[in-house]
Amino acid sequence: MERLDTISSLQYFVPEIVLVFTLMAVLVCDLVSKNRAPRERRLLIVIPSLIGLVVALSYSLQGSEAVSAGLFHNMVAFDGFGQMLRVIFIVTSIFVLLFTLHSNELRLVHHGELLVLLLTVTVALIWMANSINLLMIYLALETVSVASYVMVGYLKTDRLSNEASLKYILFGAVSTGTMLFGLSLLYGLTGSLDLFEIRSALSSQEVVASSGPALMVILVLVLAGIGFKMATVPFHFWCPDVYTGAPTPVTAFLSVGPKVAGFAVLIRFFYGGLASPSEDGASWAMVGSVDWQTMLMGISVITMTLGNVGALLQTNMKRLLAYSSIAHAGYIMMGAVVLSGEGIQAMLAYMIIYLFMNLGAFLVVIVVHNDVGSFDIKDYAGIWRRAPLLTIGMGILLFSLMGIPPFAGFLAKWYIFSVVIDAGLGWFAVIGGLNSAIGAFYYLKILKTMFIDGSDTPEPSTPLALQPLYAGLLLVLIVPNIIGLLLWGYLDRVTEFSQKLLDAM
Amino acid sequence: METLGPQIIFWAFAALMLGSAFIVVHGKNLVRSAFSLLATFFSAAVFYVMLGADFLAGVQLLVYVGGILTLLVFGVMLTNRIYNLNLETQTFQVLPGALVSLAVFVILTTVVVRTPWSQSALIEDGPTTPIIGRALMTEYVLPFEIASVLLLVALLGAAMLVRRRTDL
Repeated sequence: MERLDTISSLQYFVPEIVLVFTLMAVLVCDLVSKNRAPRERRLLIVIPSLIGLVVALSYSLQGSEAVSAGLFHNMVAFDGFGQMLRVIFIVTSIFVLLFTLHSNELRLVHHGELLVLLLTVTVALIWMANSINLLMIYLALETVSVASYVMVGYLKTDRLSNEASLKYILFGAVSTGTMLFGLSLLYGLTGSLDLFEIRSALSSQEVVASSGPALMVILVLVLAGIGFKMATVPFHFWCPDVYTGAPTPVTAFLSVGPKVAGFAVLIRFFYGGLASPSEDGASWAMVGSVDWQTMLMGISVITMTLGNVGALLQTNMKRLLAYSSIAHAGYIMMGAVVLSGEGIQAMLAYMIIYLFMNLGAFLVVIVVHNDVGSFDIKDYAGIWRRAPLLTIGMGILLFSLMGIPPFAGFLAKWYIFSVVIDAGLGWFAVIGGLNSAIGAFYYLKILKTMFIDGSDTPEPSTPLALQPLYAGLLLVLIVPNIIGLLLWGYLDRVTEFSQKLLDAM
Repeated sequence: METLGPQIIFWAFAALMLGSAFIVVHGKNLVRSAFSLLATFFSAAVFYVMLGADFLAGVQLLVYVGGILTLLVFGVMLTNRIYNLNLETQTFQVLPGALVSLAVFVILTTVVVRTPWSQSALIEDGPTTPIIGRALMTEYVLPFEIASVLLLVALLGAAMLVRRRTDL
């Protein structure tokens, strides 16, 4: 990987610079529009944010030339993997920004500040996912965390939101502190903050022979920080409470953005610092004396099982989706275990599809809450008679989350399971399959409530209020789930491209 | 450390640091805890000086002792309800907690003692400020800038959270 200095790095750093300037501009727009009418003020805030995000997105889509470079003296990587993730984060952010516009929960007070926070998290996620330096990993992760804490506690008069924010801060402070301690030990062991230098230090024979216990402790400590962001067991405790208490658009964002960034850090940290690529770059071999492959495998199995079993008992929609997102983290982790380029491709494909199905499900939750004013699953009874199209849409999203063919969620699961089987870990795929079966149970329970329950009461069925903006967004989020099969070839090419550029690491 | 002097200073301040940290955690009086924290921070600054990190020691004193701690003490003093407040802390699950702490202590100590840590070459004593300044402006310029984004968002978040309720 070519190491670039500050000036020559800037040309690869345009989307991030655009986002930072946008967030400052939105902050100023928010201040100068203080005395204007609410409607006008909102336009002045939302339009610059959207423009900034779209410009950043268009720049991120352009740079498809096959370069792979370490920007700013090997602080952040620029490669296909990172470009892919950049697009994922910006797209998520655009969706969530649009989610906030008509949500009754937010009541649109201090909308400007919420958007500034959203933009900050977006740019920090990009930094986090591309960090190849311990200092950068910590700083970016901390920026994401601090902004998320405030976003979760955005509803100041809502007790659940306050509680969620406090829990998030306490868990977050402990896990990032733990991770920082681990990183400092790693620096002490290898004498470097650069992941590639750490790899070469760990490859030397004398270090391998003597550093076993230390490396083990380091990995456990570092996994506390990364696991907190991915919401994998045993660092998932915050997840159900925070997802329930946070305003739903924020929950939707947290369930995709930081989770994907957590997996990106996992890949960068373990594949970049603790594994060496083979000659053709298609697979990796662990360096150092700790078998972290088994560690990740264990975490993956426990995470998906606990997520699915936990979801069975939930009566609150947001809590249920929180446990479901924990389970999905377990599935995504399966791709990281196999130590091959195909595994990373499968993870990327899964994360892209997960973005659409999960954001879609949360948007339905927002729409229903706007009308019904509740997150309880039992209040979803009879929605079918009031909004048939919305219910069918939710059905498609839930079938996709379940992994039922022909929806995209099935392809995602099938891809990741087949990669695991190819790696000779058949039993691992079987556990994944069993878990999907458990998962189907609670997703079907929601569908049963929506379609069947309450259909025998002769209640006058007024149609559910659905804002045109949300209807359009739902369509955009649902369609990829249906035509996943047709897009598959394209998705495959995109992820392959991303992986090719990663192995330059 | 060949001579006895630095050894004595090190152990004295290590004892001070641990003792005062213990009071911070277990003290029932907020003011006493705040002042004990001062001793903890100061001892850390002494260690920085002993390691030849003069700039860090200065920053430690200015930011932690001079800034954060003073603010904390002022906050405690100006809020008389906190001043007289006896913290009602209760300790639950003493035995499991003690066992876990002991296990962590044993594991970490073993690791720290047994592992051959990487040793950097000794550099001669001298002012470190120019070195740090140059590094921040060249090799570490990106983390430096990102830290400013982090501080901006922290400031914004704090302002948003403490705003008066009527404003909502």
